[in-house]
Amino acid sequence: MILEGVDEALVAAAQAGSTDAFSRLVDRHQQAVRGFLRRACGDWALADDLAQETFLAAWGRIGGLRAGASVRAWFCGIAYRKHLNARRSASRSRLREAAWQADHPSVAGAAAEDRIALDKALAGLAPDQRACVALCLAADFSHAEASEALGLPLGTVKSHVARGRARLLSSLGVDDDAC
Amino acid sequence: MTPADERLRALLEMDEPPARDPAFSAAVMEQVMRRRWLQDLGFLAGLSLVGGAALWGLWPVLEPALIAISGRLAPAAAALAVGASALAALRALPGQGEVPA
Repeated sequence: MILEGVDEALVAAAQAGSTDAFSRLVDRHQQAVRGFLRRACGDWALADDLAQETFLAAWGRIGGLRAGASVRAWFCGIAYRKHLNARRSASRSRLREAAWQADHPSVAGAAAEDRIALDKALAGLAPDQRACVALCLAADFSHAEASEALGLPLGTVKSHVARGRARLLSSLGVDDDAC
Repeated sequence: MTPADERLRALLEMDEPPARDPAFSAAVMEQVMRRRWLQDLGFLAGLSLVGGAALWGLWPVLEPALIAISGRLAPAAAALAVGASALAALRALPGQGEVPA
């Protein structure tokens, strides 16, 4: 509650034109936005570029953010639309692929195999399903918050998360029907 | 949370960026400031264009009026200039504007 109050105060100050307040919002939410984009697009360099574009777009639109809205969900919503636009630009993805191969940290041992299997399973998910998984399973978003961020119906988010989770667990060789 | 979910979450958390990343925030704010500067520049350029166009449009009306009043304004303008110069000279004197200890 206190943290949300801080966000509200910072948003109000940023709406009044304070770049310092906006800078603090960037500090507070960069981890959530970058983490979401990394999981949603699987390319760390592209994800960080998109995160920068997200915050830049957010600065231009912050006047439209209504009081009391979840700032994290709002940022992630902009990030999701940036990600979808970037997906349409196939050439850009190809250019980034080489850089990602170099930048992506390697993991060792059994975790490496799991990670490769997970990446493969994530890549096989539809973009909206992958975004739901990235928000709800990895970033502690509630279904309602993810629904708000992605502009998807609540029921769709729930089913995307359940099906995505089942596919990811299946890729790890875990048989778990509980959702 | 089931052990399977914990395992899944641990794997997904490998993508987590650091909680604080000053370099990233600085890069974002640099772009924000650049955009703000361009917006300000655009606004001032637009304002100058509008002002210039208004002056150009009103000049046929303004010119005779200015010529008519310039004779009467000249002494006042001269007095203002002398006053401003005197003020500037007084401020430049040593010891002016210093706070006594």
